[in-house]
Formats: sequence, C-alpha cells, structure tokens
Amino acid sequence: MSELIRTPPGAVGALLLALIIVAVLFGPLLAPYDPQTFYTTVRLQGPSADHWLGTDQFGRDLLSRLLHGSRATIAFGLGATGLGVCAGSLIGVSAGVAGGWVDSIIMRTLDGLLAVPDLLFTLLIVTMLGGGTGHAMLAVAVAFTPGMARIARSSVLSIREREYVLAAVARGESQGYIILREVIPNAIGPIVVEATIRVSFAIMIGATLGFLGLGAQPPSTEWGLMVAEARQFMFRSPWGVAVPGLAIAVAALGFNLFGDALRDSFDPRRRR
Amino acid sequence: MERAIVPPVPDAAQAPAPVLEIRDYTLGYNTPAGRFEALKSIDLQVWRGPTLGLVGESGSGKTSLAWAIMRYLPENAVENSGTIELSGENLRAKSVPEILAIRGRRISMVFQDPSTSLNPAIRLGDQIAEVLVQHRGLTLKEARGEGEALLARTGITRPADMMLRYPHEASGGEKQRVVIATAFACNPELIIFDEPTTALDIITARQILELFGRLRDETGVTALYISHDLGLVSRIAQDVAVIHDGVIVERGSCASIFKAPRQPYTKALLAAVPRPDLRIAPPAPDASAGDLLSVEDVSVNYGNAPALLRFLSPPRADAYGARSVSLGVRPGEILGIVGESGSGKSTLAKVLVGLQTFEGRLSFGGRAFTSRRMIDRDYRRAVQIVFQHPDASLNPRQRIGTILSRPLRLYDLVPPADIAARVRALLEEVLLDADFAARYPHQLSGGEKQRVAIARAFAAEPSLVICDEITSSLDVSVQASVARLLIELQRRTGTACIFITHDLNLVRQLAHRIAVMQHGKLVDLFDIADVTSDARDAYTRSLLAAVPIPFDAETDPVTSEAGAGNMP
Amino acid sequence: MSPSYLARRLSAVLLVLLIVTFAVFAITTILPGNAAVMILGEYATEDQLLALEQRLGLDRPWYVQYLSWIANILQGDFGMSLRLSLPVSEVVGDAFWNSASLAVTALVTVTVIAIPIGILAALKRGTIADLGISLLAYVGTAFPEFVTATLLLVFLAGPATGFFPAGGFVAPNESFAGFVSHVVLPAGTLSLILTAHIARQVRSEMLDVLGSDYIRAARLKGLRERTVVRRHALPNSLAPAVAVISLDIGYLLGGIIVVEEIFAWPGLGRLLILALENRDLPVIQAITLLLATVYALSNLISDIVIAALDPRVRYE
Repeated sequence: MSELIRTPPGAVGALLLALIIVAVLFGPLLAPYDPQTFYTTVRLQGPSADHWLGTDQFGRDLLSRLLHGSRATIAFGLGATGLGVCAGSLIGVSAGVAGGWVDSIIMRTLDGLLAVPDLLFTLLIVTMLGGGTGHAMLAVAVAFTPGMARIARSSVLSIREREYVLAAVARGESQGYIILREVIPNAIGPIVVEATIRVSFAIMIGATLGFLGLGAQPPSTEWGLMVAEARQFMFRSPWGVAVPGLAIAVAALGFNLFGDALRDSFDPRRRR
Repeated sequence: MERAIVPPVPDAAQAPAPVLEIRDYTLGYNTPAGRFEALKSIDLQVWRGPTLGLVGESGSGKTSLAWAIMRYLPENAVENSGTIELSGENLRAKSVPEILAIRGRRISMVFQDPSTSLNPAIRLGDQIAEVLVQHRGLTLKEARGEGEALLARTGITRPADMMLRYPHEASGGEKQRVVIATAFACNPELIIFDEPTTALDIITARQILELFGRLRDETGVTALYISHDLGLVSRIAQDVAVIHDGVIVERGSCASIFKAPRQPYTKALLAAVPRPDLRIAPPAPDASAGDLLSVEDVSVNYGNAPALLRFLSPPRADAYGARSVSLGVRPGEILGIVGESGSGKSTLAKVLVGLQTFEGRLSFGGRAFTSRRMIDRDYRRAVQIVFQHPDASLNPRQRIGTILSRPLRLYDLVPPADIAARVRALLEEVLLDADFAARYPHQLSGGEKQRVAIARAFAAEPSLVICDEITSSLDVSVQASVARLLIELQRRTGTACIFITHDLNLVRQLAHRIAVMQHGKLVDLFDIADVTSDARDAYTRSLLAAVPIPFDAETDPVTSEAGAGNMP
Repeated sequence: MSPSYLARRLSAVLLVLLIVTFAVFAITTILPGNAAVMILGEYATEDQLLALEQRLGLDRPWYVQYLSWIANILQGDFGMSLRLSLPVSEVVGDAFWNSASLAVTALVTVTVIAIPIGILAALKRGTIADLGISLLAYVGTAFPEFVTATLLLVFLAGPATGFFPAGGFVAPNESFAGFVSHVVLPAGTLSLILTAHIARQVRSEMLDVLGSDYIRAARLKGLRERTVVRRHALPNSLAPAVAVISLDIGYLLGGIIVVEEIFAWPGLGRLLILALENRDLPVIQAITLLLATVYALSNLISDIVIAALDPRVRYE
C-alpha cells in the first residue's frame, strides 16, 4: 500500500478515492440541505456562502444532491464492474483451463462480441430489457464480460505455463487444487488491475445512461441524470451541468489513477 | 621470454601508455533505499596486445564498469572519484559531442544477446553502414559496400544477401557476427565484449569465440572481455581481473592466477568451475541390474493440432519435439542428457513426468505406459522433477513450509502431526535453516530457491529425479554448490537421476552415462569412460570440441597462437 | 505480407461478423420483450399480437427467422423501418455518410495531435512537459462525452460567446465553411477523450522502445540522439501506435452515438437513439451490424498497416 501511493499518480488517485469514499459513506450526514426540497427563492444560483456549489432550477442545493447522488453513481460503477468481472473471469478461466476447441470457440465468440462498441452493446441490452438502474447495471456488466474474459484467460494461460504449476501437475495434484491454489491466486493481479480501471468506465457509462434517460430515473440524484435535468437551463446557470459533470470526472479519474498505480506495482518491469 | 625481463607491469617496454587506464574510480547509484555502491576504487589498465578478461558474478559490478567506460550511465549514477583514460585522454572530462565521436569509433562494444541488441525494423546491412556513415563520413552507398566486406571478414558466406535481411531472418550466430562486424567497423582502439557468447548455443558460441580470436590477431585490437565464465576466459584472455562486490580482488596473467590464485574469492571461484577431470559423482551402480525406467521409441509431435485449430492459431514452427527416442535409466544412476536448445531434451523431461502427450512406451516398475493419461499418482510420486528457473518453480503465494509439505500430504508419506518436523528435516538436508519454512519464495536467493525445489522433489522419496537445467540460471559459485548438494542427496538416498544440461563440463563431472540429443533424436549414448573414444558420434565430438576442459592449454585452439607468446 | 496471413485475417473478420449477426439477432429477438410486444405496447390484445407476429414472421422457429434475416441482409435487404415505413437501407444510407464525416474528422484530429504528443512526452520523460501531458491525458480520459459536450456547448456555443452553432449539420459539399463550423464541437468532444487515451498509450509504447537493448546499442554506436530517435525509435513505435488507434475506433463508434444526439448531428448515432426510443428493430439491427463491420474492417486495415510497418509481421 505504501508503495502504491509513493508515485504521484498513485497518491492523487488514493486521495480522490478517499474523497469519494467519504462522500459515499457519510454523504447524507454531511449534506447541508435536503436534496429534494425546493428552495424556490434561490433557483439557478452560483456558489454562495449558503449554497457552496449553487442551486438547480428548483432551488435544490447542488452540494447536497451531489453528496446524496454519490451512492447511486459509485454503486453503479462498482456493481456493474463486479458483475462483469465475475462473469468474465469465470468464462475466461474456464476457457483457459479447458483449452482446445472449447477455448477456441469461446474466444472467437468473445472476439465477435468485442466488435460491438461497449456503449452500443449496453444501449441494445438496456432497450430490450427496459430502462432503469438495475437493467442498466446488468447491461454494462454484460458489455464488460467479453473484455474481462479475455484478460482472465490470458492471465491464466501465462500462469499455467509457470514451472510451479507444471511441478504441481507433474506431482499429480488434482485439477481443483491446481486451479484454486496454484493458478488463480497468481492470476488475480491483472484481473484486479483491469477491474479497478473499468470501474471508471462503468461510472462514465452509467452516467451516460442516466443522461440519456435509460438509467437512473428522477427523482434520483444520480450524477448523469443531474446533468440531463440541468441541461435545459445550462445557458442561464452553467453550475447545474458543471458540478455533477466534474464530479463524474473526479470519480472516474480516481479509479483510473489508482488502477494504473496498482498495475505498476504488479509489473516488476515498470517498478523502479 | 621477454616477460621475465620486465616485471612487474606487463608489456611496459612495448607500450608507453595503456589503451585504457582506470584509476581510483568509484561509482554509486541513488536508489529509494539509499546509495548503492557499485564500483569501489577501481584501478585497471588494459594494454595494447593482451586481452584482459574481466570476470565476475552477477551483481559484481562488471557491467557497470563497461557502462562507465562507454560513458553511458543512468541518471541516478554518481561518480565519486577517479579517472577513466582512453590513450591518455580523460573520458570523464569529455563533452557529449566528444563522447559521441568516441563511441563506436574509438571504443565499441559487443553485447550479450544479438537478438535484442539489433533493431528489428532495420536491415542488418544498414545497421553496419550507419556506423561508417556516422564516423568515417562515407556515403550510404560506400558504407554498404564496406559493410559487405566487413561481413565477409566475419565468415558470413553470402554477405550481400545478409546485408538485405532483417534480424528475425538471421540465426543467432549470424546476428552476433553482424554485431561483431559493426564493432570492428571503425578499427577502434578498444572493444568491450560483454558476455558475447552467453546467449548462444554451444557450437555457435565456439565459432564466435574463434572469430573473436582470429579478428583480434588480424587487427591487433585491444579487447576487454567481460564474462562470468572463468574457464572461457582462461582460453581467450592473457590477463585477467576478478571483480567481486565492486572491488577488483585480484589481477594478473591468466597463467599465474589460474595456477596460483592468492585471494580466497578467486580460489573459491576457481574451485567452482566444473572440471571433467575432477569427478564429484559416486561410483556407477552395477550395470547388470536392469533398467529402472525405460523409454521405448517415444515421439512427441508438436504440430498435431486439428486442422481448424491450426488455421485459427498457427503453431510455432521452432520446436522439434522428440523423434523415436529410446533409452533407459538404471537404479541409482546419474544419466546426463546434453544437447543444444531445441534438441528435445526438455521435451523428453516433460514426457517422463507426464506433462507432455507422447507416442511410444515408458516402462517403469514392471508396468508399461503408452499414453500420458495412463501415468498415475504412484508413477508421479516415484518420478520427480526439478526445473530450470528458481524464480518460477516455487509458487510465490505459498510459504516454503507449505510448498514442502505438499508432496508429504499428497502422497500420504508422513502422518499429519509429523509434517512440520519432516519439513524442517528436509530443509536441513538441503543445508537451509529450519526457519525458512515461514518465508515466502521472494525472500530467498536464487540458489536457496533451487535448494527448496530440490528438497520438494526428494520429499516424495522418489526413485528417479529429473533435473532439467537446474544450474543454468545460477551464478558459477552457486551452481557448484547446488550440483554438489544434489550429488550428496543422490548418494545418500540412492535415487537415480537424469541430469539435463547444456554444460558439458558439468555433466562430465557428475554423470555415469551421457545421452546426446540433436533435433529431437538421440544421437549418442555412452559411458563416461568412453567420452573420448573414437566410437563417438560426429555431433558429440563437435560438442566436446566446442567446450574444452578449462585451464588446459593443450585442448584449446583459440589462444594457442596469441597465448603462446605470453607463456613464460 | 504473405497471402496466407491476409487470408487468415480476412476469415477472422468474417467469423467475427457472423458472430455479431448472431449476437444482434439473439439480443433483439430472444431477450424478453419481443418486437410485437414492443411495437404494440403492453396493453395490446392477444389477437393483435398474434396478427403482428405473423406479419413479422415471429411465429416461425428462431433459426428460420435468423437464416431468412441473414439471407436478406446478404442481398442488401435490411427490411422496412417499422416507424418510418421506408426501407432501412435508405434510412441508414445518408446517416452513415454523415457519421463517417464526423468520425473521420475526429480520427484525423486525434491522430495528428495524439501521436506527436505521446512521443514528445516519452522523449522528455520526467520533465515538466511530460508531467503536464501525462496529467492532461489522465484528466482527459475521465470526462465522458456527454459532460465534455455539454460543457463545450455552455462555454463555446452559448449566448455569451456563440463562437460555434449549438448543433445541426451542413454537408461539406454544400458549404465547407458551414461544415467546419458545425463539426468543430462534436469532433472536439470525441477527440478529447481519444487524444488523451492514445497519447498516454503512445507514450508508454515509446518508453518501452526507448528502454530497449537496440536503442542502447544504437547510442553506443555513437549515433546522434536525433538519429537514434528518428531512425531507431520512431519506426518501432509506429506499429504499436496504429494498434492503439485501431482499438480506440471501437470507443469512437460508441462515443459518436451520444455526441450526435447532443449536437443534433443527423448520423447513425442520432438515428439509433431514435430507433431505440421507438423500438424500431430493423433499424437497430442494421446500425449495430454496420458499426461492428466498420470496427472489424478498421482492425483489419490496421493489421495490414502494422504488417507494412513491422518487418517481423510481414513475413509471418
């Protein structure tokens, strides 16, 4: 851990993540106002002593909405990535372990799915399932699965050729022992790194879906939805779009930086 | 004869100043963990004529010294004191443009691995020509013509053709010849050879050494030859300097150092060089006992995938596998298997431990195995393997104790309550402290890890242990101790051993019989006593000729000419 | 490049497209909410549903539906748009070229900016310039298109500044100046995130090349740094750069959907959103196939370019 935050990107990433964790855990406690109350006298205002980040078209406090919305946004990123990582790892590890024609068929199928851009894939599935947070999360998870499976598989394949695994096979260890005790504990590094970086993509896609009206629904304070709702008034008060927009960027940046630092700490070639 | 008249400095009468003179040179690196001193007060002279061999193990500072001479130091390097002079000019005082004019023209370098030191995207000819264009002001056309002549001098048969190839279209030996031709291109005053044969196969390495000897004699260039291999240096250098922990511990003529080393480190290093004349193995077991394990007509074909799979992901076409190999191992015997890379020796090892599908038959303990699937746990317990890379052969996420307890639990050799005690005993058998059981592999050195891997193999109480290049990744001194440890365990347990290696001197030191493989085939199999017999296969003889016995001038054609002049 | 290499790559592309057709068909047909339900809404009667299912051929077994769908596509017939009552190929045709003009503009911008920036950062490693580029690259990849687009609109197209039109499209052959003024914001939005990502990747590829043994060997030959970079490092870093760009084309094709929607650019993305809102399945299928085909073909082209740049691949 101390190694992770020694580099500037790692340190900034950890700082941003800490900020986000505080918002997620204590957001509702820290919020100065109720996120849904209309303060009609102070509509579309810029930052002031009363409203640090300004107010929206109904006079709701942006900071309070932001703090409340952090849960929806971050939970979406973590949930979608978590599901995608689990499904992808399962498929990738199975393909890598099975080898032969099973592996070939799975990998060619994944190649095909990877040819559909993530966002398009997500949109298709969300539309067919019908919008809403749960379906959107599922859709992002499905869209992530092929990419994660590829990474899990290549990780397993490289570990499987290591001499300690060969030694276990030569010793006559059971398939289960080899996969669970020798291969997976060592293959997990690249998967964790990729997962961390993908959380930032999931946050961005989730917000995009919210923005398009296919994800979180009003009166949710999900950040993408906040941007969408404020768009109508953006020329009168840019704060309504800028505040949640920047918040999304901060969250994505935090996971991205932290993931990269994690990668560097796993990769001895890049460790200096 | 003249040498006796002008001691103590060699050749002082002929050459007024050394080509390279390093005085009181100290180099350190700033690391997050503090300053690391790589070179400590180095004094070294390289004179015109005799080649200086710089010998050291990994981490000794020998490569740092080469970078310092080339003035190619990383940003965190700190030079505390000293001078590096080329023909009397202090290189440390030179500006960047002056250094660029020296590199490649007055000092050049030959690197360890030609497959990484040549640019994959540039034709070989142009990689030679660019030096001539840069330093001798030739036009590209002239430089290509000159480059072709240089290549011809290195013994490449069709230089014009080679000029047009890319690195991946040439063999390792051809590439190293290109690198050498480049180094000689501007007739430099000094050439630094940094382990130029380490990455090459036995016979290719020998050819490159011969090329080195010939070009040196033809051009009279001064050479600093860096190597970890004392035996090799004894053949190509006249003077030798031994470096250890950044300090030159001893230097002098090869003859004097190899005959009468003064420093303990030099003595230990010399003692570690494997010498066929100093056998370390116990006497051979009785040959009449019959075979413990026999391999009958075993073949491995790597190109066997179904057509559709091959089309989707084409197989690599470099490995030979094995072709109709038959041989047997006797109980308690050490059988050496030698061959160059790609000869099929490791493939055979994988067949023997059930890691590779095969055709043919293995016979063991009165049972026959005709496919990989038939190999069961009893067989696997009896036939253990130790791999080449100590860094890869232990699971980094398991403690040493867990690693060693696996075979005990798996084969039910020891009651669960006694496992910890048995692990401690195993560690002690391989001369490691019992508290190593609580450590993780990354906390161990390469040699220690290899000892653990050996202990794991012997933990199964096997009747045959296969050692696949187990000393190849280790330093010379560690190599010797691991080999001796293996022999000691083998002697104590009576376990048979298949020792796979490319180190001919080592295998001649410890094997009872030697099998020679080439292109997947077994080409020769003989008793150690018959190693020099006329009945040997031509390939065996060329291998043996490529690796003479160390410190034995009579078997050594490389320096017979140049070396003779320096013998008192 | 050997013919067999080309044949292998081409057949891989065909295989990918076959799988894409299958996936698209599966998602749009087998997942809950079949076309008839979607078109008629939840409150349609059984009879209405049955009638529509028959008209659309949804009562046939799925593999018959799939095969007839594929057979039609191979003849260039993507069916009729359910909403617009026009052949899908007609609806999609114009939109495709409008999208292409936007995508190509963005891609050219990105390539021209990102590769030099990445290489510069690697060459100046550890300096303020490198740190600045790396920092901007990190920040750039954290902004989703809809945020960038909205902020650009607010600050460059709002009543306060009004440098650019807030949306719409002018065909380049009608008025090139009009096209340019309309394309700046959407192409800029797409370029920001891609430039940031590609510059970062190119930097790291270039650092790998600069740290390689052959670069060290070139320096130790006494070559000037300029020669080392130009002759030894750059040629080896171009192939990886092309690979990075080709992978990011997938991202570009996703981003274009949102950007077209925000800037009212009449391309495939805007059409897709409209089709999704109306559950116009034939249009959705056609656009998805089209985008996947473009992506697969761009990967094929990049493989060919890489083979031309890298002698090791050329002879495989």
